[in-house]
Amino acid sequence: MNKDTITSTRELELYFGPQHLGMVGNFSITLKVEGDRILEATSNPGYLHRGFEKLMEYRTWIQNFPLVCRMNVVEPDSMEMAYAMAVEKLAGIEVPERANYIRSICLELARVGSHLFGLWAYSNLLGFDTVAQWAMYHRDLILDLFEELTGARVYHIYIWPGGVRRDFPNGFKDKIVNTLHSIGSCVPDYDSVFFNNRIFYERAKGIGKITQEEAKKWGAAGQVLRATGEKFDIRKVEPYAAYNKVDFEIPTREDGDAYSRIWVVRDEMIESVHMIFKLLDKMSEGEVYNRVPNPFKWKISKGETYVRVESSRGELGLYMVSDGGDKPYRVHFRTPSYTHGLIILEKLLKGASIADVGNIMISLYVVAPEIDR
Amino acid sequence: MDRNDIKKWLKEPAKMGHKYSLAAVYFCTGCGIIEVPPVITSRWDAERFGVTAVATPRQANLFLITGYVSVKTLKAIIRTYEQMPDPKFTVGFGSCPINGGMYWDSYNTIKHLDKYIPIDGWIAGCMPRPEAIFIAVTHLWTLIDKDMATGYIKYREKYKYYRANQEKVLGELEWPPLYPIEKNE
Amino acid sequence: MQEIESTFKDISVSIPEDTKLIITAKKEDLLSILRFLQDKGYNHLALISCVDWIEEKEFELVYIITSYLEENEYTGREKINIILKTKINRENPQFITAIPVFENAEPYEREIHELFGINFKGHPRLTPLFLEREYKIPPFRKDFDTREYVKEFFNKIPFVDEKK
Repeated sequence: MNKDTITSTRELELYFGPQHLGMVGNFSITLKVEGDRILEATSNPGYLHRGFEKLMEYRTWIQNFPLVCRMNVVEPDSMEMAYAMAVEKLAGIEVPERANYIRSICLELARVGSHLFGLWAYSNLLGFDTVAQWAMYHRDLILDLFEELTGARVYHIYIWPGGVRRDFPNGFKDKIVNTLHSIGSCVPDYDSVFFNNRIFYERAKGIGKITQEEAKKWGAAGQVLRATGEKFDIRKVEPYAAYNKVDFEIPTREDGDAYSRIWVVRDEMIESVHMIFKLLDKMSEGEVYNRVPNPFKWKISKGETYVRVESSRGELGLYMVSDGGDKPYRVHFRTPSYTHGLIILEKLLKGASIADVGNIMISLYVVAPEIDR
Repeated sequence: MDRNDIKKWLKEPAKMGHKYSLAAVYFCTGCGIIEVPPVITSRWDAERFGVTAVATPRQANLFLITGYVSVKTLKAIIRTYEQMPDPKFTVGFGSCPINGGMYWDSYNTIKHLDKYIPIDGWIAGCMPRPEAIFIAVTHLWTLIDKDMATGYIKYREKYKYYRANQEKVLGELEWPPLYPIEKNE
Repeated sequence: MQEIESTFKDISVSIPEDTKLIITAKKEDLLSILRFLQDKGYNHLALISCVDWIEEKEFELVYIITSYLEENEYTGREKINIILKTKINRENPQFITAIPVFENAEPYEREIHELFGINFKGHPRLTPLFLEREYKIPPFRKDFDTREYVKEFFNKIPFVDEKK
């Protein structure tokens, strides 16, 4: 039936709003629906806008650290890493060797935790409650490790310009190894209950399909791009921290639909666990922190820079301008959920049915605080 | 016995019913979407305290406001709160609803949430641990026993002041007033 | 790098590190430079940002362009980040949209229009993205003081408990 011959009495406007059982995070979508098919979708961000970049211009370089990690609540370490890297580039500070290894280990642990959170959201939505409870439990074990290392479960403020704040406590390496072994030994259970399940295959195959040219045209990054067959990963292209000292694979799939994206997530989790074991073996001794000048009087010289970090969702970038004072002049974060949630979501929802809205949205890994900042 | 005697006789069992079966409406506002899923899943089980998560506000009687509130979220919160049936309890989670928290100088966040909807209890922390939610729930039980969790009664009595504050921030509101407001102020 | 200097006049190119390239250009040449870079293979627009230089009375628009892989091979071109800058006037700021060249420029320009007040000609949808209320000065400009605003507006709303 031609779209132009639809009369207005068959069209409805629905709000898939912030208070909804299928919505993770404070985000809303306005849907124009005819029967069960969606004609047009508009994303409606802005529920979490705090004006971060304006607030950061009022605080000194060090006072901005507690603010930076609250931008993405699911994985705060990658934001801290981007900010620390930008400040180090502008001020010309070197980072000791052992601190680079510790930074990589923290980032990989945060990546596993964030993927487990996404697995909770996705399997809860599809109706697999058992896997949701397991994923949340294993994420809590990782948060216990972070609590012992940094003092807080969620907002760590551990990665700092000049290194990391403190060294590993005694016996911490064995704790990491034990926790990862206990999570890794459950992978066959996850496979048999969720990943190899026929119901997951029927519900996710062919949903939200995106081709490689479209993904590149619309600015996709992360698993959305790797599920279409492109092996693009910033840890290999522009290595930072200790990633050039350990070799790892980049998992990809060919189809570009929701099924491939979740399988890429599973492969990435297993690859991160192997990477942490290799990094723990190769860690060097030494100190972990190069002193920075007095934080109340620290002025950084004029300049601008752009750094990139591979977070668990894609390419996280930071553009920073300094004019020679003790506060930043302009800070602008480029978050991966911006293009995924505002452009790709609207294009993929055209022609889908209402029951697939949550499926597409969570498999694209849209996290609402990253869009609004 | 007449109607007043029956009401007095049923008050104590009714309080027990309110306390031990709090139904929390599922609305993740702000930073707290990180600490609510561990609470409702199996490691820190909230169901042993009687707290479950329900889908719509018409079925709920507990509203957990987790984290900071921006101006757009305030509209959604007021609509959700007014759809919940009486008696209802609200708990502010985190230090941002108390006095603005870390974003005290932002142009888009609400600093004192108490001016717009009534709050019965606060939980301090940024983010609080999951055990803090359970301590807050047990405090709420003692408040319900002593008849001190009266946020919804205060909303009914002082509705015109709440509505005036809401209109100052959000402009002309699209929904009619919940309780009738006298015109002679 | 040398090709850009030979093709366009009146621009300056500087290379601070081996992975970065900073190009400063005039605003009339901007779209043609973007097309030229896209033809050379830099096909990913990462960010459009804006910096408010209030003393010189100018806005500076910044376009950051990188490159994806070509058929699973590393050629070394993917490492380079290109930062392209241009300046426009602060009174009555106008500019043209970059959507014909890069399709994902749409939400970035919408956000800059809302927070800085710059008008982009040819943009299909310049509606508010984040903000709910109206402000006299667009909030991210340097002459909007947020602490004054909070004191004037939010702290003056009365508490309900004081009224009887």
